[in-house]
Amino acid sequence: MHLFLTYTIFGLVLGGVYAIAASGLVLTYNTSGIFNFAHGAEAMLGAFLYWEVRYGWGVPTPLALILVLGVFGPLMGGLLYLVIMRGLRNTAEVTKVVVTVALMLGMLYLSEWFWNPQTDRTVVPFFGITSQVKILGADVTTHELIALGTAVLIGLGLRLFFYRLRIGVAMRGAVDDPGLLELNGHNPERIAALSWAMGSFLAVLAGVLLTPISGGALQANSLTLLVIDAFAAAVFGRLRSIPRTYIGALVLGLAASYVLAYSPKTWQWASNFRVSLPMIVLFVVLIVLPQDRLRGASVARTRERAHLPSVRSAVIAGAALVVVVVLLRQLMNDSDITTITLGMTFAVIALSLTLLTGYAGEMNLAAVSFGAIATMVSYHIGVTGHGLASRSTLWGIVVGVIVTAVVGAVVSLPALRLRGLYLGLATMAFGVFLTDMVLMDSNPHRIPLIHTKFSLFSGGAGINSLVIPPLRIGPLDLHDGTTFLVTATVVFAVLGIGLVALRNSSYGRRLTAMKDSPAASATLGQSLLRLKLSVFMLSAAVAGLGGVLMSMALGSVTPDNFSIFLSLSLLMLTVVAGISYVSGALMGGLLSGVGFALIVSTFHDLASRHGSVHGLFSFLASFATVTPALIGIGVGRNPSGSVHDFVDSYRSLRHRPRVLVGGGAVEAVLYVLSLTNVLGHWWFAILTSVLVMFLPLVGQMSDPARREQEAAAVPLELAGIDSPYSDGLRAELDRALGIEDLLPPERLARSRRNGRRSDGSGDRSMTEPLGAGVGDAGT
Amino acid sequence: MTAPVTDDGRPIEGGAEPILELVGVRAGYGAIEVLHGVDLVVPRGSLVALLGPNGGGKTTTLRVCSGLLRVASGELRVAGRTVNGAAAHDLARVGVCSVPEGRGIFPNLTVRENLWLATGTGVARDRVESVAFDRFPRLGERRNQLAGTMSGGEQQMLAIARALATEPVVLILDELSMGLAPLVVSALYETVAELASSGISVLVAEQFAKTVLPIAQSAAIMLHGRVVRVGEPAAVEEELASAYLGG
Repeated sequence: MHLFLTYTIFGLVLGGVYAIAASGLVLTYNTSGIFNFAHGAEAMLGAFLYWEVRYGWGVPTPLALILVLGVFGPLMGGLLYLVIMRGLRNTAEVTKVVVTVALMLGMLYLSEWFWNPQTDRTVVPFFGITSQVKILGADVTTHELIALGTAVLIGLGLRLFFYRLRIGVAMRGAVDDPGLLELNGHNPERIAALSWAMGSFLAVLAGVLLTPISGGALQANSLTLLVIDAFAAAVFGRLRSIPRTYIGALVLGLAASYVLAYSPKTWQWASNFRVSLPMIVLFVVLIVLPQDRLRGASVARTRERAHLPSVRSAVIAGAALVVVVVLLRQLMNDSDITTITLGMTFAVIALSLTLLTGYAGEMNLAAVSFGAIATMVSYHIGVTGHGLASRSTLWGIVVGVIVTAVVGAVVSLPALRLRGLYLGLATMAFGVFLTDMVLMDSNPHRIPLIHTKFSLFSGGAGINSLVIPPLRIGPLDLHDGTTFLVTATVVFAVLGIGLVALRNSSYGRRLTAMKDSPAASATLGQSLLRLKLSVFMLSAAVAGLGGVLMSMALGSVTPDNFSIFLSLSLLMLTVVAGISYVSGALMGGLLSGVGFALIVSTFHDLASRHGSVHGLFSFLASFATVTPALIGIGVGRNPSGSVHDFVDSYRSLRHRPRVLVGGGAVEAVLYVLSLTNVLGHWWFAILTSVLVMFLPLVGQMSDPARREQEAAAVPLELAGIDSPYSDGLRAELDRALGIEDLLPPERLARSRRNGRRSDGSGDRSMTEPLGAGVGDAGT
Repeated sequence: MTAPVTDDGRPIEGGAEPILELVGVRAGYGAIEVLHGVDLVVPRGSLVALLGPNGGGKTTTLRVCSGLLRVASGELRVAGRTVNGAAAHDLARVGVCSVPEGRGIFPNLTVRENLWLATGTGVARDRVESVAFDRFPRLGERRNQLAGTMSGGEQQMLAIARALATEPVVLILDELSMGLAPLVVSALYETVAELASSGISVLVAEQFAKTVLPIAQSAAIMLHGRVVRVGEPAAVEEELASAYLGG
């Protein structure tokens, strides 16, 4: 009884803190439609800052609390809204996810930069550890009582705020219609900023309260993942209801506490189970709770755009990629080759995101976790030989990929009626569950019937890692670095071409139709179920293949190689590069696999070599770790991705072969210079990127017919509105309408003459600028 | 087709100064311009009907008037003062009350909470409630019900109640009749006529001209983002058919 009481109180306290965190999450999601993945990171920053102020600067506790909770928390939230979140109107769900994920990663790096993770930091409970009271015989610290009391007060306070204050009612009104709120004389911007300030305050409060309860040691990662416990509680309230969120949080807290108390000692996995409990709850709740129905009325026109390449150009690009990689191979030393290979395997995983998110508009926040499944399968059934001579077999990879596809189906099947964010959360729950539970399974179990010992993720002797030997198919042996690199590139190119072909097929068009409007797609007789299931399986298979290749490139993998943070940052960089493009996947994969690691290590090298400016270079190195997050945050301004802009800029060069040939020649010279060691490899890389970036600009500057082309680039429905109505445009319109051939020669001449006349008047006040050509044809 | 009338802004009855005025207003969404120079005058104390087929720019014009959409060029004047770029909530506070297309209510708030939010313009809460419940007793019966669960007519009553209670200078109504039974529509327009006769200036956009022309003092036809005709309701009615059919 005594044990039960102690753990019940502990569970209630834990649940109360979860509830505080989760209500902040619900608050911001409802007022701005943004699900804040950085909520836990805000809590973490708050807790670290509290530690710094309280113990670093030695400020008394009440003053430190006022500074952190009263000033820092609300200020951070308000600024986040004003600087970043406000710009996310009319963007796709994935863009919003990516921006907050970027924010989360950025805050993590930032805290590591300011507060060295190697140092131990402890936060003492309020009034000390010894300050305890006895409740029915159980010892409860004052801190726990304060935490519980605060949770109750916050719950009551929020209730009063939302129902008894006009600004609270207005906040609830903003969920329905911010425009109407404005017509009622309220300022929706101010209301949204306030809600973000409150959300951030609640996050920081949860962070400060939680640390002493969960042991007192301050850890950035575990505090950031607090958000996952909050997710589960918030989803329990369907991301809307705060009372239900509170109930969900209490259930979670109690369950975690009871697992800790009552699980038998023989259950070695009990502690892993406790850690992944919120994820399991999240998954179950997502599946059980009713979801919104399909909505067809408001087809949101998002700001994301994408060009669609033809299969022919994809084949050319794929071949070019292989050639470029083979050429670059000549410049690289062995360690570079391994790094680039790793990047290429990441790019293959990123392809699964292009298919799933870019084409079909569904979300998978745990792409790399699917790679773990294929890795495990191919480790257990597809390795031949021993020691250095051991090799993976094609058979193992094929079965691994198939199993991953099946697991993908099993994960997504119950989640199929979920859409967008909910599906994303379900995959995230699965991913975290996999890393916390399945990949931690390193102790051998005795399997009852066949009496062999078996563990899922262990290379033997309880070591929590797997050694994945390189693949050998007949004469092709990936033991050789160059062969591996070229093979990975070819795999990427073939899959990429396949994806483009798929996108151009009727299946691809059906996927995009589903992305744009599930309701319209369903009324056209598409089976959304079949489409989603098939695309999810395909995508999981691609991720599985990429994952196995990644494991081979790494040689030996630990659960950390499949962490959810890796999946999230891969998704982020792919969206930054352009989620709807195969080349976006290439760029995103290479960036997350190699790019930033290379830049950071370069700066560290420079810092150690040049002692006098050591400070500057190590600052740059630290700054470079934050850069990906900054780029990710910037995606709100350019949600189509950078590849999109790049393609657009090169589009104008299509009719300028001389500029292209010139650029190619310069690049060839650079390559030869670098090959003969006249030019350093870094110089080659820098000059090449400068050339690639500025070539379109050169093309534009040197183009005599630039204005003409710009006029022709205006979409036809806008022609004549923003630009003069020229002869060429009139001919273009006639051609687009298909009436050019119908016009008899003399009419054609008259129509041309009319065109010239209105050109002469040359202003924008013409009546019916568009009707003229059509009217001529009709009369 | 009739050439655009270049009305120089003289109100039909003469005498009353314009309370709401659009002069050569261009506006649109992103790169797409919808209004290509709209001239429109709402004289003080009169009811102006804005007619025309779908896609003519009526709703966009009203969005400009209420401040939800920025003027790209031209001028928006309220009571003779240029208010280009003023935010919608500022315009609401100086007395421009706008009931948007569909239902101008918050479906997930109760009737009382909806009315409470109407006090954003500076009216006392008691006053809003007493005016609303006196004029529409049905709302009083349902004061604690979620607004979204009421019938379409009741929702529109709630939307109009805001206009009644906050005593605006200009009332802007968009497609009041949308999705409602004809009987409900005529009852609503009776209220609008009362409001207009009490001295509030009203601008109404409506696809179904017949419902609004009898109570209007003047009417304007919008086509392809321009006001192509302004005049007495009776005169405008005759030209409507040709405007709709693209004459």
